[in-house]
Amino acid sequence: MTGGPIALRVNGVERRASDVPASERLLDTLRWRFDLKGTKEGCRTGGCGACTVLVDGESTLSCLTLTHEVDGRAVATIEAGGESPTMERVRAAFVAEGALQCGYCTPGFVVALTGLLEERGRAASRDEMLEALAGNLCRCTGYAAIGRAVERLRAEAP
Amino acid sequence: MVEFDLVAPRSADEAFAALRAAAPDGAAVLAGGTDLLPDVDEGRQRPRVVVSLRHLPWRTLDWAGPSLTIGSTLPLRALEQDPDLVRRFPGLAEAIRDVGSVALRHRATLGGNVVRAAPTSDLVPVLLALDAEVEIVGPRGTRRLPVDRFVRASRRVDLGPEELVRAVWFPEARPSAYRWQRVRPANDISQVAVAAACSPADRRWRIAVGGVAPRPVRIPSAAEALGAGAPTAAAVARAARAAADAVAFPTDRRASADYRRHLVATLVERVVDAVVRAEGFPR
Repeated sequence: MTGGPIALRVNGVERRASDVPASERLLDTLRWRFDLKGTKEGCRTGGCGACTVLVDGESTLSCLTLTHEVDGRAVATIEAGGESPTMERVRAAFVAEGALQCGYCTPGFVVALTGLLEERGRAASRDEMLEALAGNLCRCTGYAAIGRAVERLRAEAP
Repeated sequence: MVEFDLVAPRSADEAFAALRAAAPDGAAVLAGGTDLLPDVDEGRQRPRVVVSLRHLPWRTLDWAGPSLTIGSTLPLRALEQDPDLVRRFPGLAEAIRDVGSVALRHRATLGGNVVRAAPTSDLVPVLLALDAEVEIVGPRGTRRLPVDRFVRASRRVDLGPEELVRAVWFPEARPSAYRWQRVRPANDISQVAVAAACSPADRRWRIAVGGVAPRPVRIPSAAEALGAGAPTAAAVARAARAAADAVAFPTDRRASADYRRHLVATLVERVVDAVVRAEGFPR
């Protein structure tokens, strides 16, 4: 097949597209078909984490994911908002600690950490949280404040 | 964007047919895609058809006595989170956690890593130390091959155009460990890596080194220098020297041959120490 229809549940909403090329990446589907520009393109080779989204709750590099490969599945992006209380909690911690500078990498960090917290719940240790972020690059090198956001999330673990 | 067709067969037979239809060089196999898709984007590989394994029932983890069979399309993240695997195959679990990032490992697979056979693979050295074998299926049946013979060279494996790796088989749980040197701990490629395992059955060691061209290799002389079971400090030093002498280390943009030779001796000492302290080490 050279292309075809896909259906995704994106941030709780059914989204469809009729003629998605076989080689299209989830990153491009989200940004250009569904106008969800919060997910960023960085390196496009899986090395920076800027494009991280959740697929069925698991952090996933959307630049390395063919849209057709995740047809029918649930995708969460930084725009999930109130659909994801965990993401709201992570976002609030980043805001409280000023854990961003230019902001380009921030959606990837927030989504990756959300995925880990949803996967591990209260059991998530500080090391696991930092490991979950180890694939995300911040070119402003604002890692210290991101580390503080992790500490804050640990301290307020529900 | 580089265009290609995508097929997602529902059975192994359908997959063989899809590979045959795209023969000889027109097809690429997609498991997690984390290695294939960058290659396609950068023009290193130009498949006409990509055959996705996502519908094949190969996301399995099967224990049988001391042995373990890992389905080729099970994501690495599921492996590193399996408590039995972490306890009984500690070196494999360590090596898996050293691949890319958590998000990458949610898609990357053991089968993909071994079939893609990157010379810098973090998993092939530990597969060599664990005497792992690949289970290959094709239109003419099933065959099995030790990883040491399956991986021929950089990016080259003994796999026919219509064959697929269904699983990786490990003969026995072994105290094992994996140590490396890199510029950056995550999402980076090892300059040198060393895997070691000691068999509880025969108490013999296996040592393998990665970060060497054109593929990770076993170092039998280092394994022999360690003797059986717990080695003396002198034996460890001999093994470290043997590993440094046995390999023709490359010089490339990641490290010089001299630096790699220096590193490998240190890493052999560290990895052996970790294996001796692992659960179930044969005294």
